[in-house]
Amino acid sequence: MTDGHPGPGAAHPTPPDVPAAPDSPPAMQIRPTWGTPAVPAAPAAPTVPAAPAAPGHPPVPAEPTDQGGAAGGAEPRQRLHPLSPVLHGAKSLFVVIAGLSWSTLSRVGFGWFAVLVAVLALGATVLAVVSWYNTGYHIVGRELRVYEGLLWRRTRAIPLERLQSVEVVRPLLAQLTGLAELRLEVVGGGKTEAPLAYLSVADAARLRQRLLAVAAGTPARETADAVPPPAGDPAVDAAAPVAREPAGRPLHAVSNTDLLVSQLLTPQAFLLPVGVAFVVFQFLSEGSWSFIAVASTLTAMAGVLLQPVRRVLDDWNFRLAREADRLRIHNGLLETRMQTVPLERVQTVVVTWPLLWRMKGWLRLRLEVAGYSGGETDDRNRPDRLLPVGDRETGARIVAEVLPGVRLGALPLTAPPARVRWLRPLSARRLAAGLDERVFAARSGLLTRELALVPYARVQSVRVVQGPAQRRLRLATVHVDTAGGAGATAYHRDLAEAWALAAELTARVHAARRTR
Amino acid sequence: MNAAEPPQSPVSALEPWPDTVRWQPISTDLIWVELLRLALGLAVLLVGLAVGWAWHGHWLFGVGCAVVLLGGGWRAWTIVRAVHAWGYAERADDLLVRHGLLVRRLSIVPYSRMQFVDVSAGPLERAFDLATVQLHTAAAATDARVPGLRPAEASRLRDRLTALGEDRAEGL
Repeated sequence: MTDGHPGPGAAHPTPPDVPAAPDSPPAMQIRPTWGTPAVPAAPAAPTVPAAPAAPGHPPVPAEPTDQGGAAGGAEPRQRLHPLSPVLHGAKSLFVVIAGLSWSTLSRVGFGWFAVLVAVLALGATVLAVVSWYNTGYHIVGRELRVYEGLLWRRTRAIPLERLQSVEVVRPLLAQLTGLAELRLEVVGGGKTEAPLAYLSVADAARLRQRLLAVAAGTPARETADAVPPPAGDPAVDAAAPVAREPAGRPLHAVSNTDLLVSQLLTPQAFLLPVGVAFVVFQFLSEGSWSFIAVASTLTAMAGVLLQPVRRVLDDWNFRLAREADRLRIHNGLLETRMQTVPLERVQTVVVTWPLLWRMKGWLRLRLEVAGYSGGETDDRNRPDRLLPVGDRETGARIVAEVLPGVRLGALPLTAPPARVRWLRPLSARRLAAGLDERVFAARSGLLTRELALVPYARVQSVRVVQGPAQRRLRLATVHVDTAGGAGATAYHRDLAEAWALAAELTARVHAARRTR
Repeated sequence: MNAAEPPQSPVSALEPWPDTVRWQPISTDLIWVELLRLALGLAVLLVGLAVGWAWHGHWLFGVGCAVVLLGGGWRAWTIVRAVHAWGYAERADDLLVRHGLLVRRLSIVPYSRMQFVDVSAGPLERAFDLATVQLHTAAAATDARVPGLRPAEASRLRDRLTALGEDRAEGL
């Protein structure tokens, strides 16, 4: 990684970045790999390098007076937006009310309840103010450093060359106040790293642009040959990050009616009338409408409907844009999210055809990025949707955009031998796998069909597994592992073919690496 | 498939590409390590069952003892075979690890994808002068563990892997 620095390719994305962020010209130009060289004018900024080493001192008392004037020094440490403790306090208000619950209200009466809520929320706000005062961040060289904590101080240095995606999230309250939260995904982090809550929208956009510029500048080859045609684009883009904020070539916008219809075409929505009818029938036959029964039924139904409703809320107004070699995903109704994923970081694209969507010919695209733990079940926190709903042509177009050269309709998929039906009597005919020019593709699933596409350059390892039943039938399964998500699996191939597949896959993995 | 040069048709599930890959066996001392481990587990179970038998006197405890012994014997036999089935091979660009008898597994890990290498040796392994090398990639599913190596061989493998990994490393 260090060898890339002096090269012209590495230096290229940086200079345009400097005018964009005038507060930090030398730090950006020098490009130190570690924090210390970031202080060319050392006396001007003593706290910055000293802070991680000796965190006992209070941090920056006031950032503009302390270091902002030191134009030649390292970048001053930034605070989060002053309104953020208020937002945190407001958020804790909901938590407090939910925690106290109705039973407390009925026991202590409204007046005392209000007092209790006020006291607790006030306490939470005071804590938020204290933590806001002690939280700071700045970019040192190729790292984002985040300082936090009053008693237990924590300094996190996030190496930006490991940055996988940046997300700007704006919950409802933040939208009302013009704030935003910035979330980073870093390889190796099981969870979202360093959520910076909250920044002003302009600050968040600027910081995101800078982080991406620093991250992309890492190995020269990544920016250089990721997308050859718009070679000049990243420079232009980075030059005016704020002015050209909504820039980028729009790829697709999902119509909200399609989204609604698609979520009505889910098993949950389909089963709801049946459930309602059942409940009504039960009540009518028994003739008793106890409060508990009604409440619990309603809760159960809300639980069932939660997923489709949440998907509608999350994917509302879904827009996809391409900005140089990055993908920009914008979605959300109550909580808007804007995620930026460098195309280099795409580990897997999964195409899904749910059963009920087939009558419409619809599909869904999912994007896997390293950094989210594979086992994370909470799909809300995995902004992995590349396309919540769309027809075949749209899907093919977006796949071709994300994985250049891949044609969804013309993948060289081959089916496993016919004897697989002994193992998978129903879905044997749905299984298929094949090696395309740049990706490995594997299809599976009877009711919900899935097609996983893994670029060869992103393959981490290849495994061939043969169980006892497969041994009888001379079959084997080939797994392709990736850093994020489940990878792709070619089930039940003929043994000889499985070996050939594994050999060819490894050969292509090496070739993909060399040509990059 | 549409391969440039399809490899020769393999003979067995554990022997792919017989003429291009030279499989290294692992030390047969691992059999003793595994047998001792098994014996310890069995001993705990048997003592528990025997105490129950002596105290309670129900015949089911006797049956339990017999089942545990039989199962242990069968497992001992499979351990011997499984250790012989375990092997690894260093190719120019990747490491191959194969293991398993009932479910046969082969992992192919390119050196360039390696994130870090673990060398570990438990007390039992140390008593038999053995060590385990494990290769980690960014994918959690990667399963490249080579147990039963002599310490010298383990450190050679580790050094070679790290050297090759540094050589070819790349970001994610």
